[in-house]
Amino acid sequence: MLFFRSEEYLKQWLDARRVSHGAVLSVEKVWELSQHWYRDRLSPEYHGRTTEQVLGIFKRLDLTSEFWGVG
Amino acid sequence: MATLAEDLLWEIRAFVYRYFAETTRPPSVEDTATRLTLATEEVVSAYEELHHRHAFFLRSGTHDILMASPFSGVETPFHVRANGKTYFANCAWDSLGIPAALHADAEINAACSQSGHPIQLSVKAEQLSKSDVLIHFLLPFREWYNDLVFT
Repeated sequence: MLFFRSEEYLKQWLDARRVSHGAVLSVEKVWELSQHWYRDRLSPEYHGRTTEQVLGIFKRLDLTSEFWGVG
Repeated sequence: MATLAEDLLWEIRAFVYRYFAETTRPPSVEDTATRLTLATEEVVSAYEELHHRHAFFLRSGTHDILMASPFSGVETPFHVRANGKTYFANCAWDSLGIPAALHADAEINAACSQSGHPIQLSVKAEQLSKSDVLIHFLLPFREWYNDLVFT
């Protein structure tokens, strides 16, 4: 996952590498995702997540497109 | 290879993360064996099993920890200053993941991947500074673990 200053810079980067557009999120959205994803990562009780738990996080953040699915 | 007890496996995983948080670097097999009073062979087995379970990832063909997300075991362009230390994140997302994992204020320094313009973000009291920066996710979730470095 990479930072871009604008959609135009992202397009230039994708075109130069001939790779497909993935998903673009604002940095605020990724901060929100990070807080759900990583806040318990240093806990000794953290033993990973099931796919269902991951999908639950995505759903809470309205990341519901095919990109964020398992299908 | 003897089967490792689950409790020991997760104790080693927790130690690896604690070590990263304290030092910004991954513990070697020897570091972990010494600190937890274990045989080197036990730690080697545990590292392999934890890699297999995606708890962290080893550099191919070695027992060196490459990634324990959000921490990177090697220097990257994603610098995160927190708790008086400089951490390296695996990617743009993980640069935000480090303050989230540490529950700490942080200054993030990176660059736009196309233009090279500096990108500076800060987290204070769990609030992110205003920014119009974008983060691009190349691969869909279902492919994240096929090639983690590419992802």
